[in-house]
Amino acid sequence: MDISSLGGDFLGIIPLGDIVLYLTPFHLFMCVVMLLFTFLICISKTETQVEASFGKLEDTKVSVGLNEFKQRRFLSIICGIATAGAMITGDLFNFTLFMALIGIVNIGIVSAVKQTSVLNAAYQYGLIAMMCSLPLFGGAAIILASTGTLSLFELSNLATTSAMTVFGALLLLIGILGESGVAPFFATKAEMFRTPGSPFLVIIHLSSLFVVIRAIEILLIIIKVI
Amino acid sequence: MNLMANILINVITSFLGGSLLLGLHRKIMARIQLRPGPPIIQYLLHSLKFFFKETSLPKTASPVFYISIVCILAGIWTTGVIVGPVTQGSLLIMFGIYAVYKIVEHNMGSSSGSPYGKLSCVRAVFSAASEIPLFAVVALIFFQTGTLSIAGIIHYQSVNGPLIFTIPLAGVMFFILLLTKSPYSPFAITKGKELISGYETEHFGFLRGFLMFSESIAWFIMSWLFLTLFFGPLSVVYYVIGMIAITVVTAFINATSPLLNPNHSVMLQITIAFVCIVGTIIMMVV
Repeated sequence: MDISSLGGDFLGIIPLGDIVLYLTPFHLFMCVVMLLFTFLICISKTETQVEASFGKLEDTKVSVGLNEFKQRRFLSIICGIATAGAMITGDLFNFTLFMALIGIVNIGIVSAVKQTSVLNAAYQYGLIAMMCSLPLFGGAAIILASTGTLSLFELSNLATTSAMTVFGALLLLIGILGESGVAPFFATKAEMFRTPGSPFLVIIHLSSLFVVIRAIEILLIIIKVI
Repeated sequence: MNLMANILINVITSFLGGSLLLGLHRKIMARIQLRPGPPIIQYLLHSLKFFFKETSLPKTASPVFYISIVCILAGIWTTGVIVGPVTQGSLLIMFGIYAVYKIVEHNMGSSSGSPYGKLSCVRAVFSAASEIPLFAVVALIFFQTGTLSIAGIIHYQSVNGPLIFTIPLAGVMFFILLLTKSPYSPFAITKGKELISGYETEHFGFLRGFLMFSESIAWFIMSWLFLTLFFGPLSVVYYVIGMIAITVVTAFINATSPLLNPNHSVMLQITIAFVCIVGTIIMMVV
C-alpha cells in the first residue's frame, strides 16, 4: 500500500540518524497545528476561574500560582513537542516512546494542582496510563517480532498481514487509548479539566485527539484488510 | 483557474451558502414550533453585524487564547475548504480539522474564566470521546475503497456506485455527526441552554463574527463532505438539493427532540458508533 493514499502526496523525509521523519500534507498539517498551539502556550497567561460559592452570594476566584504556572507551562511545552514528534515520525518505536512521554507529562500537568478531586482524577488516569504501557510497548514488540521491522515505510510495503501482526496492532491500539485517556477511559480525564489553567489543559486534550488520529493512520498502514 | 482565486471563491461560497442554510434551519425549526421565525437571511446579517460591534475582553480571561482560538477556528475551516472542495485532498486532514474544532470548543470555554464556558469545556471533553469514534467512519471508508483521498473516493464511486448503498451504516454514523453539529441538536451538550450559550457565552464583537463565519463554513463543508463521501460525484444542482435536504431533516429532528443530558448523549453516540462499526464490518465480510 502506498502511504500517500492515506495522508496525501508524499513530500519527503527528514533523516535524523535512525529517526526518519516523513512528511505528507496530513503530517505537515498536524505537526504545524501542534507547534502553533505550543507557541501560544509559551506566550500566554492563565485565566482566573470564577466559581459560585456555596451558601453565599459571592463568587470565588481561582487562579494559578507562579510556581505552579512555571511547572505546568514547562510540561505543556514538552507535551506539545512530543506530540509534534509523534505526528511526523516514521518509526513505530519512536511513536510509542512519544506516546509514553505524552502520557507522563499529561499526568504531570495536572498533578501540580492542589485540588483533591483533580488529583484523584490524575491518579486514576496515571494508573490507567501505567497499565496501558504494557500493551503499548508489547504491541510494538509483537509487530517487530512478526514482521522484522518497525519502520512504517517497510510495514506499508508488506503484501499481507499475519494474525500475530493484527494481534500486535490491537494491543498497540489498547495501549494508545489508555495512554491518551480517550474513550473508554475518558471519564476520569474529564474531571482533570475542572481546574484553572486553560493553556495547559488544551494541550492535554489536543495531544490525545491528535495521537488517536495518527494511530488510526498507523493501524491502517499495518493492517492490510484490502 | 488560478489556485488563489479558486480558494477565495470557494471560501466565500461556503460562507454565504452555510449562512443561508443555517438561516433556513432556524426558519424551519420555528415553523415546526408554530412560530414565524426570522428571515432566512438573518444568520448572514448577524454574522456581518458582529464584525462592526464593540469587542470586549473579560478581566478573568487568558487573553492570548481568548482571541487566537477564534482565529484558529476560522483558519482551520478555511483549510477545510482548501482540503475539501478545492483540492479534494486526504480525509485524514479533515479528521484533524474536526479534532481542532473540538479543541476550539474546549479552549474557547475555558479561556474566558466564565463558569458557563468552563462547564462547556468539560462537556467538550466528554463529547469528543463520543464524536471522534463517529468520525472513525473514515477507516470504514478506507476498508471499502482502499484510499482516503477524497478525489480517489469520488472516482471509486463513479465506477462502483455510491457508498451509501454498500456501507449505509457508515453513512448513518456520519449523519449523526452532522446532526450533532447542527444548531439546537439533541447532542449539542456543549451549547445547552442551562449553560447560556456554552463556550460562546463570553465572545462578542468581531470575535463572535469570526465564530459565526466559521460555523457557517463548517456546516457547508460537513454537508459537502457527507454528500461527496456517500453519494458519489454530484453536480452543483444535486449538491444544493442535498444540502437543503440535510438542513431540513436535521431541523425537523432538532425541533422535535429535547436536548439530551451529557451522559445520555455520550452513551447514545457511542452505542450508535459501536453498532454501525460492527454492522458495517459484518456487511463488508458477508
